[in-house]
Amino acid sequence: MNMAIAPHIRPAHELLQRWGVVVAFAILFAVSTAKQGAEFLNPENFRAMLNSNAPVGVLAVGMTLVIISAGIDLSVGSMVVLAAAVGVTAMNALIASGTSELSAVLLGASITIACGTAAGMVNGVLIVYGKIAPFVATLGGLAAFRSMSLAIADAGEIRAQSATLFSALGRGGIPLPYLENAAGKQLTLSYSTVIFFALAIAAQWILSRARFGRYLIAIGANETAARYAGLPIASVRLRVYALMGLFAGIAALIQSSRMNSVSTSQLGLGSELDAIAAVVIGGTSLRGGAGRVWGTVVGVLILAMITNILTISGVSPYWQGAVKGGVIVLAVLVQRPSNH
Amino acid sequence: MLRAHSVTVEFPGVRALDRVSLDFRAGEIHAIIGENGAGKSTLMQVLSGAIPATEGSVMRGGVPLRLNHPSDARRAGIAMVHQEINLIETLSVADNIALGHESVRFGGLIIDAQRQHDRAREVLGALGAKIDPSQLASSLSIAQAQFVEIAKCIASEARVLILDEPTAVLGARDAERLLALMVQMRMDGRAVLFVSHHLDEVVAIADRVSVLRDGEVVQSFERGTNGALTDVAGARVDEGVLARAMVGRELGSIYPPITLETDDHASCRCEPAIELVDFGAHGRSRGINLAVGAGEIVGIAGLVGSGRTETAEAIVGLRERVGTVRVGGVAVRFSNVRAAMKAGIAYVSEDRKGRGVHTTLSTIENIVLPSLDASTRFAGAWIDRAQQDAVAAKWIQTFGIRCPVPQRALSSLSGGNQQKVALARWLETKPRVLIVDEPTRGVDVGAKSEIYSILANLARGGLACLVISSELPELIGISHRLVVMRHGTTAGELSSAQLRAHGADEHIMRLASGVASDKDQTS
Ligand SMILES: Nc1ncnc2c1ncn2[C@@H]1O[C@H](COP(=O)(O)OP(=O)(O)OP(=O)(O)O)[C@@H](O)[C@H]1O
Ligand SMILES: [Mg+2]
Repeated sequence: MNMAIAPHIRPAHELLQRWGVVVAFAILFAVSTAKQGAEFLNPENFRAMLNSNAPVGVLAVGMTLVIISAGIDLSVGSMVVLAAAVGVTAMNALIASGTSELSAVLLGASITIACGTAAGMVNGVLIVYGKIAPFVATLGGLAAFRSMSLAIADAGEIRAQSATLFSALGRGGIPLPYLENAAGKQLTLSYSTVIFFALAIAAQWILSRARFGRYLIAIGANETAARYAGLPIASVRLRVYALMGLFAGIAALIQSSRMNSVSTSQLGLGSELDAIAAVVIGGTSLRGGAGRVWGTVVGVLILAMITNILTISGVSPYWQGAVKGGVIVLAVLVQRPSNH
Repeated sequence: MLRAHSVTVEFPGVRALDRVSLDFRAGEIHAIIGENGAGKSTLMQVLSGAIPATEGSVMRGGVPLRLNHPSDARRAGIAMVHQEINLIETLSVADNIALGHESVRFGGLIIDAQRQHDRAREVLGALGAKIDPSQLASSLSIAQAQFVEIAKCIASEARVLILDEPTAVLGARDAERLLALMVQMRMDGRAVLFVSHHLDEVVAIADRVSVLRDGEVVQSFERGTNGALTDVAGARVDEGVLARAMVGRELGSIYPPITLETDDHASCRCEPAIELVDFGAHGRSRGINLAVGAGEIVGIAGLVGSGRTETAEAIVGLRERVGTVRVGGVAVRFSNVRAAMKAGIAYVSEDRKGRGVHTTLSTIENIVLPSLDASTRFAGAWIDRAQQDAVAAKWIQTFGIRCPVPQRALSSLSGGNQQKVALARWLETKPRVLIVDEPTRGVDVGAKSEIYSILANLARGGLACLVISSELPELIGISHRLVVMRHGTTAGELSSAQLRAHGADEHIMRLASGVASDKDQTS
């Protein structure tokens, strides 16, 4: 072992494995620009794209942490609809009982988030204490949580009884100085986008700088070794599923407030797949033990741009799933470890 | 038969092998020795196709072999037992042994389970291992798993056998059986290569010894016509000479002086640091009464399967237990390792790769993992990286851990260096009671003596230490007192004086195997 450091050049496949997601993003960006030009580069377009993908982005960020712990949560879409249904129903009841609109909205919002967290804790308890595999436990949640929300509204839609206040969160934003759209209206950075990025930053920080994140990685990498190292496995796993529930509650709040209603048969349908896809495209392995939140964020943007391009180019929505599926498989192929 | 021709292997930041040229002949046992991180495993892995050579080649009969994958090597008749166990836990022993060359019928449609079972039993029988081929690999002890690995290698009928530290996890008897088998392989005309830190084995069976240091072959020895291992000048070579050749300097006694204050301890044993009363691991051991005082090192000897590891695991809450544990005089019951750790008890597992370390985490992260709380601020929200790096640097320095890039995954460290990390992460928790299970597994002689002196120093500072080991010289060398286990319970105890008396090793072996003699009954 000569200590003289041999110059080490990373082989191409290793570089691709690490930065492939950024390259893919750049390519899609270039393609979009070429195809749509100014229309794509228009800030209003970005605002809309980010805004509509923020809820699934929030889910994907939480999912990244779950997957790093070598778990999975298939119930996120159903947690979203349940939390939204319970929250809006509660808010309507409060308004009907004469509570002031402001306190009803605030309470309803809190209940939405609390309900998501509670659902996540149910998953966590089943997995940690019931010793049920995460895939199975949350598959149960996928069915049960949606069915509960269908029962609440008779499979119909729940309209929020707050006229404008409730929808302010989902539709409003922070005004951006100097940026105006074509009609001369000032652009805003929607609250949902702000929440998405704030949560992503928080999660990345948990992962790289907090003890909880280090424990998640260690447990995901080798649970037996983590047990022998004296890590609090039960509480860490419980907390990561509760946290996922919390994120689902936040996503639910964004969604229901934007629509000012909850469609119990449609809301959150299939979001678990979009969230997992974004995580995988972002370079986090389903094997657990390693991962990155920033990759997931890029993954969300990649999926958003693909949908955007396909829609603009007039590709039938029926075919869009096939394209997305292809992209996911390609991402995994490129990023899989070179040996094994 | 096989030749390494100017093989160079470079890893990020380190040249693991530097133009190594060696010949491996049929009918010869060739031992490779060297310090931890010298490049032994790397060389073995190049020969078996697991790692590509950066430069140079592996040749047979003057033709370079294309070894891009272990399956290429297998086709070329080269089989290897790796330093770490790589069984598939969810498959049976027989399936593991047949892996890669299954007996199939109908063109692969059906696996001939009976044939595989019979073949596995035959090979395991030849090894003298009492292992049921239909048992799941996950239920094997480390030593049994090692035998299955060796059986896998032998079953492949390879002409070149490569064994990387095959005896590191075996007890004395199992090791002897394996060595005998290797000698038999040589007589069958196969080429046998092995790596070992047990220099006595090397002196006993190697026909040729090559010493690696920093990736280069620095010395070679050969068995002369008189049957003794000799150097180029024809002088006789013993373990001391080999050790010197490895580390490049004179090594004194590798065991620290035992401060015979044990008799004082005997008198102050009124307040032991840890006390086991009628203790055992549920279904595995029972009726163990043992007290370890602060400052005392107590060895635990016993054959593989005598319940030593299980008992230790029951103490720290990894297994269901029976009986009582008292720490500082108070009865305690730990439900997990964390609780035991908080009470100042640490356990270092014998299964380094599977339980002792996290191979995908960095060296730094590994060292601070159990004691991470000490490097965090704001209730865990912030890991103080400077602090964490300082802790890691301290241990890398103390143990002389060779790791070119501490931020890289631990799997980039050599086996012996990973073992030092496994110890360091628990020493960093500053335990009052330390239970170490095979603490020097795969560690070179120099580093062994370093570990012994660290343990002795800690004991002098008041640590109570339980050492489980299959290496008798080690146990005798460092223990103040020794307990022998057999069939899940204590079979006897040796005092400090008895340990240092002549014939202590035989005494221990008799107790461990249950062959009683008059002398034992009186002791
Ligand atoms: N995958 C890897 N990536 C980077 N460096 C590596 C890798 N594998 C080994 N090394 C480095 O190569 C050197 C030689 O390692 P090797 O495993 O061959 O040592 P060894 O002689 O077998 O030691 P031990 O006695 O501890 O098993 C070490 O410095 C090690 O850190
Ligand atoms: Mg090695």
